[in-house]
Amino acid sequence: MSVTVSTAPAVATPPTEVKLRGPYGWVATVDHKRIGILYLLTTLFFFLVGGVEALLMRIQLARPNNTFISPDAFGQLFTMHGTTMIFLVVMPTLIGLANYLVPLMIGARDMAFPRLNALGFWMLPFGGFLLHYSLLAGGAPAVGWFSYAPLSETAYAATAGTDYWGLALLVIGIGSVAASINLIATILTLRAPGLTLRRLPLFVWMVFINSFLVILALPFLNAAIVMLFIDRHLGTHFFVPAHGGSAVMWQHFFWAFGHPEVYIMVLPAFGIISEIVPVFARRPIFGYEFVAGSTVAIALLSFGVWAHHMFAVGLGHPMDMFFSATSLLIAVPTGIKVFAWSATLWGGSIRLTTAMLFAVAFLIQFTIGGLSGITFAVVPIDWQVTGTYYLVAHFHYVLFGGTFFAVLAAVYYWFPKMSGRMLSEKLGKLNFWMAVIGFNTAFFVQHFLGLMGMPRRVYTYADLPGWGLLNLISTLGAFLLGLSVLILLWNIIISLRRGRLAGDNPWQAWTLEWAATSPPPQQNFDRVPPINSRRPLWDLAHPENPDPAVGGRRSRDGFVLEKNRVGMVTFLVSESCFFLMLILAWLFYNSRAMTGPSPAGTLNAHKTGMYTICLLTSSAAIWLAEKQLRAGRHGWFRGLLGLTILLGGIFIFGQGREYLRIYHQGIVVSSNLFTTTFFTLTGFHGLHVCVGLILLLLLMRLSLAGDFKPGRIEAVKSISLYWHFVDAVWIVVFSVVYLKLLL
Amino acid sequence: MTTSQFFISAWSGNPWVIAGCAAALLMGGARFRPPTAWLLLATAVFFVTLCSPLDALADGYLFSAHMLQHLLLLLIVPLLILLGWSGRTAPQDLENGRWRWANWILRPPVATWLMGVGGMWLWHAPTLCNAAGSNVWVHHLQSASLLGMGLAFWWPIIGPRTGQRLAPPAGMIYLFTACLGCTLLGIIITFSPVEVCSIYLHPLDRLGILPLIQDQWGLTPAKDQQLGGLLMWVPACLIYFFGILGLLVRWYREPGPESAPAAATQPTLIEKPHGL
Repeated sequence: MSVTVSTAPAVATPPTEVKLRGPYGWVATVDHKRIGILYLLTTLFFFLVGGVEALLMRIQLARPNNTFISPDAFGQLFTMHGTTMIFLVVMPTLIGLANYLVPLMIGARDMAFPRLNALGFWMLPFGGFLLHYSLLAGGAPAVGWFSYAPLSETAYAATAGTDYWGLALLVIGIGSVAASINLIATILTLRAPGLTLRRLPLFVWMVFINSFLVILALPFLNAAIVMLFIDRHLGTHFFVPAHGGSAVMWQHFFWAFGHPEVYIMVLPAFGIISEIVPVFARRPIFGYEFVAGSTVAIALLSFGVWAHHMFAVGLGHPMDMFFSATSLLIAVPTGIKVFAWSATLWGGSIRLTTAMLFAVAFLIQFTIGGLSGITFAVVPIDWQVTGTYYLVAHFHYVLFGGTFFAVLAAVYYWFPKMSGRMLSEKLGKLNFWMAVIGFNTAFFVQHFLGLMGMPRRVYTYADLPGWGLLNLISTLGAFLLGLSVLILLWNIIISLRRGRLAGDNPWQAWTLEWAATSPPPQQNFDRVPPINSRRPLWDLAHPENPDPAVGGRRSRDGFVLEKNRVGMVTFLVSESCFFLMLILAWLFYNSRAMTGPSPAGTLNAHKTGMYTICLLTSSAAIWLAEKQLRAGRHGWFRGLLGLTILLGGIFIFGQGREYLRIYHQGIVVSSNLFTTTFFTLTGFHGLHVCVGLILLLLLMRLSLAGDFKPGRIEAVKSISLYWHFVDAVWIVVFSVVYLKLLL
Repeated sequence: MTTSQFFISAWSGNPWVIAGCAAALLMGGARFRPPTAWLLLATAVFFVTLCSPLDALADGYLFSAHMLQHLLLLLIVPLLILLGWSGRTAPQDLENGRWRWANWILRPPVATWLMGVGGMWLWHAPTLCNAAGSNVWVHHLQSASLLGMGLAFWWPIIGPRTGQRLAPPAGMIYLFTACLGCTLLGIIITFSPVEVCSIYLHPLDRLGILPLIQDQWGLTPAKDQQLGGLLMWVPACLIYFFGILGLLVRWYREPGPESAPAAATQPTLIEKPHGL
């Protein structure tokens, strides 16, 4: 066996970190494996919290006309359960798994931006803390995880709970976007030699696609929350119909995020299943290209189906028709996946380990949830059942029976890698059967309850024939499910102490993480096996019968990307989505007739036009500055950088004067929807300009400290990109807000 | 007039269109013998777009019919033409002949993208939209320009010169961003409380079909505009969507974009330098 020294190791620049011991080592860590485990432990904690909330609700619903919990407390539990499970459990669990596994699966040493990674994680406990702090500040939010306006406006939700809900979601959202940017940059720039994009393990591929969903969809929610926040605190009326706002807009904004969110919560689970099923069927995945391609299809379609959450709103026949069609269409790529997994099982020599049992249960339960999901695409059926327990059953089959079973499969599959010890199979099987029986008992009967007309989101119900019995069965199932979680905890605790040692590759799996030791060393790999196909460890073990080399003998993709640039571009894409929502809000609200101040009477387009020229010139200045720096002329660079800062400063000064002038006319953000949207849009842009100015000043300081030795100018490149973006956004803002006044 | 009467009688024999179809068939027939099914299909769709009752409806009656026409001319007909072209020899004229200048336009993907997406936005500026709906010459100009811009748009994706095509990942971004562009326009048109094209608000009832449209089909101007916006939003995006899927197929099929030194084929271990 010859040993070749790789000339281009795809590793991150490792942070200068000595392995810190004890709790402080965990708090201060930037190691992706520790951060991944921190994610999983945090989400486990919140899972228990959300689970207890669910059980309390199930006790209340166990019999008709129950008085165990007051209506108000039920509303709070109901909101906290949904919010916790979605934002503090499912999303971060999947991000945590990706955090742990992606660098290992692509043969990298760490994530592309280890410190950003730590930041992203710590946003999660912070957000969780904010959400639960509401309990001390006048009561938890009671507006549902969807927080429908106008019920979430001050008039109907006066306590600070709703504000904490919004703050928490913003914080967690920032963390998720940071993690996704990091994952994209890692997957694009740190793959081991030979691991082309077409050879990626399916889990990594799905995390990759999923990260795009996160950076594109989360800003929709953030923009909506920001508007709700402005409504609640500055007295504006984005979502108050009585004052010209539109409550339906909230639903559009929320579900434009909310439906991609459904796939954000399920795509990585698809990835987990695509890894586990082949390993325990001892066959390569059937139709890799179809599984990978259908993921792209799902991701794209997920942005075009949100209105099916709103059929009952009354959007009109044309809308219903088109969104019904797209919603039906999205079932096709999902179906392709289910067929591919089933075909992988077909003829395989199946090993029914606990991980595989959970994966098979996923397959069945997700299919049930998917099929009931298709029924919601049919408008008349949707009208009948959208407000009932049928829907509750549907999305629990997708999210619990689907995603969470996949997560449990992942826990049983990758726990040996993370801890070095096997989980007990005996307790695992017990855990599985209790979970599967408990889950189906709890939720299958809810289909019938829904079809019998039991409304969801209610704290109690009348004693109608059958309702009491079915609800009791559901509650019993929920408790069995809760018990199964305790068994999982027990299994984890005793296996950590006394579990069988795992060895590097206990399942004879084929992806790169199993080439590292269990648990992997801090640097992950000393050697990365050669990669010619999608199953490098299979090739290693069976040199006489290797997999066909995907993409021939080419070991690289046709492009090379730089990680800072990728990070900044993906961040800006995410920012664009945020501004897009603000601009759409401007266009929508200003195209309607309203009383009060008008753009023509308030704004000074000529003066702003002058300041705009300053801002655009500054873009040219920083472009030239970057050129000078590349040529090594540091004096020129500093001069041009100073000019950029000056011009940017003039612009922000001009905006400030304009604001002041308008304010002196007695016009404020809450005057009417024109001023609301105007101040929101230009205010957020101004905020971005200020952030840009701070960054430019930082660059100046670094430059004066002599930091930009030749070849180390990534920071300048990234920040100049950001500055160009800020200018580009202003061009759009100026065109939609001011241009009409000039013409 | 009943629906069926209208659909039977409202065909027009626009000489320009017929001449265009004939020229396409003759030229295509001369170059590729026999003319491919794609080319025949493209001609048929082109003819239906501009001579069928669809054109009569688009001519001042229905915004949504106008939008359908627009999509067929910009996205479908050029796609069919280029599909018919691909696999044939690349046109030498573009290489160094008298059409060399066209290459300058077709080469930068930003330019072709702007033509494809900008074409949609441009012709929906209220002034231009109204002009195209009321003046027959502007209407012809619109049809011709949409066809041309559509050809330019699809060129980097399935143009006959495979060397000039975008690599599949870049092509997917090209189509995805185009989809965003038309989604945005579609959303704006769908939700806009004001009319984008005011001429469709009070149609001049030349054919006497207004009662048919508004009473029997139930297409009020508000509904009509919503339908138009949705056509731009959903089906247009689905075309890009299937384009992206096509590129994915091409990506997984092709051997690889570059012949970098292949990794060792025998099971050797690549050692990473320590202590980075």
